[in-house]
Amino acid sequence: MVTLSHALSDGRGPAPQAQAPRDFARTTLRRRHRPLVRALAEAMFSHALGPTRERLDAFVDEFDNFVSFASRTLRFGLLVMLGVVRFAPLFVLLRFATFETLRLDERIRIIERMAASRFIGLALVLAAYKGIFSLLFFEHDDELAALGYKDERHRHKHALRLVASTTAGEVAE
Amino acid sequence: MIDAVVRGREVGVPLSAQADVIVVGSGAGGAVVARELANAGWSVLVVEEGGYWIPEHYSAMTPSHMFRRMAREAALAAAVGIGETPLIAVLAGKCVGGSSVLTGGVCFRVPEEVLGTWVHDLGLTQMSPEALDPHFAAVERAIEVEAVPTHMRSRSTELFVEGAAKLGIRMKPLRRNTRGCKGAARCNFGCPHFAKMSVDVSYLPDACAHGARILSDALVERVVFTGGRATGVRGRFLDETGEPRVPFQIAAKIVVVACGALHTPLLLRRSGLRGPRLGRGLTLHPSVRVYGIFDERVDGWDGAFQSVYSDDFEHDGITLISAYGTANLLAGGFPGVGREHRRLVHRIPHTAVFGAMIHDEGGGSVRRWLSREPLVSYRLAARDGERMRRAMRILAEMAFAAGARQVILPIFGAPPVASTKELDVLLARRPSLRRVECVAFHPLGSAKMSTHPSRGVVKPSGETWGADNLFVADGSVLPTSIGVNSQLPVMAVARQIAHGIAENASHHVL
Repeated sequence: MVTLSHALSDGRGPAPQAQAPRDFARTTLRRRHRPLVRALAEAMFSHALGPTRERLDAFVDEFDNFVSFASRTLRFGLLVMLGVVRFAPLFVLLRFATFETLRLDERIRIIERMAASRFIGLALVLAAYKGIFSLLFFEHDDELAALGYKDERHRHKHALRLVASTTAGEVAE
Repeated sequence: MIDAVVRGREVGVPLSAQADVIVVGSGAGGAVVARELANAGWSVLVVEEGGYWIPEHYSAMTPSHMFRRMAREAALAAAVGIGETPLIAVLAGKCVGGSSVLTGGVCFRVPEEVLGTWVHDLGLTQMSPEALDPHFAAVERAIEVEAVPTHMRSRSTELFVEGAAKLGIRMKPLRRNTRGCKGAARCNFGCPHFAKMSVDVSYLPDACAHGARILSDALVERVVFTGGRATGVRGRFLDETGEPRVPFQIAAKIVVVACGALHTPLLLRRSGLRGPRLGRGLTLHPSVRVYGIFDERVDGWDGAFQSVYSDDFEHDGITLISAYGTANLLAGGFPGVGREHRRLVHRIPHTAVFGAMIHDEGGGSVRRWLSREPLVSYRLAARDGERMRRAMRILAEMAFAAGARQVILPIFGAPPVASTKELDVLLARRPSLRRVECVAFHPLGSAKMSTHPSRGVVKPSGETWGADNLFVADGSVLPTSIGVNSQLPVMAVARQIAHGIAENASHHVL
């Protein structure tokens, strides 16, 4: 048993604080989940030029890392929802096949129908995954560059310069 | 950087400690109590479940990295809708500084009409505008509350103002706790320029300068009682997998619980407190946003994250407020999948975001269930449902008035509308509110202050009805929904509670 003052003087306090703490070492996806997440991401974000295979593989890792910060219950809930996606062909197209085994155009058709489904549960499953996937997918540098997003603040910097010069002028007067 | 932080996950062996006051939670409420009592000469120990990140780390993190490291449930927490109620995403912080690190920094005092209800209808006489004024004023000075100047507005906000003006809706500048804001529109992800005066850069360093200490990565599991008095807490430090492992115990004369409205009821219940109102009556301020797509390039991320609001619909329970998320956050709300979704996402640089918040009745509850995170459920009152529909209509009409070519409503599966006529057709179908994309940033009122134990959980002093020397000082004590952003009200009420503790020191330490 240590005391607080001991912990503080023991280097557990001030010294290491400038370093960011390490992320929790845990994962959520099992091997069987990964092709499904990948297939869903491909269907959601497919376009003429991609996404590439490497990008999709990296995306699955990123998704796993992201959701692993949530509680055990929430992670379990997400996996249950993933199960709904897996068997969505049965609910939506009345086909005995799992989502990840379908062709891309069929997968797209399924998620389009899920989005517009009268069964709100299905729409919400898709909305939840779309929200998380979009947060991660469109955070990629290439996507932000395509949107013209820059860390530089042009418009606002210009406004600040104007304000600064006006203020300086007033002071000079 | 705060020197006096012990990172629990690095301690590795059981720890025992002693202090005059333990504050559980380091957010807007807990930080204020810690600073005020440390300033009054008490030895204070703040215990925080989340990790400790210094502001220098914020600029190195993307929004999703901020979410996963500093928000509860990686920002995936939600209130389950009951009946005709949407699933409501609830953003709350889990880090040293709590939700104040993740807010937009907007500061409102509690509207006088609401305070009038608290004083006259609920008998909470210490909540009068006059009694709270010195606390509001002191907090405003400490966190440097200032009006957002016009030149800080993003183009998205300007369009929000233009649309409002064409419909005769008046806009006012917001006040925020900032010093040297550079308009990065990233307030919700920790300010990369240290310009937002969240409690991790204002109150907590000051508390530590007066001798307070902070334990991070430390989950308090129970308040310990001796003879009906709180005498300390027990808990466990989180290990490298995020699970609680190594035990700690801290003895204290006073325990102040400030875990926020989602977790305070859980801790009180786990500690053996009971009561008909504990965890009930949660209010959320459900919020909706509408996207307007314009011909011109908007680049809404260039400027202050939030800068104007309108209280023209205050009596209808609706506050209109400007806000802008990051591109990846907005993308999830755009309709379509595949190419159609991508086409719309690529219109984000041409998109302005208009927001509204509902002053709700409070149909939420917080319960303990399978994990250490609560089960939050919420039933939207019929009145609030109509307010939500009305808010969406007002925002969409403002967007068209500002010149939007298309408007995207926050309704899952609804296509963009291109005219007010199409808007009318869509809303005339009365789409289910369960399909509405809804977020909440202000969970409040789950351990309400009251003048009688049958109506609340804590006394007007903040001390619980169920145990002596156990106080609650966070958003859970607010007796009703307030209809405005809650950071400043929580801090002012926490300050009042802290001063009450200090003034009655002889009573509490006996």
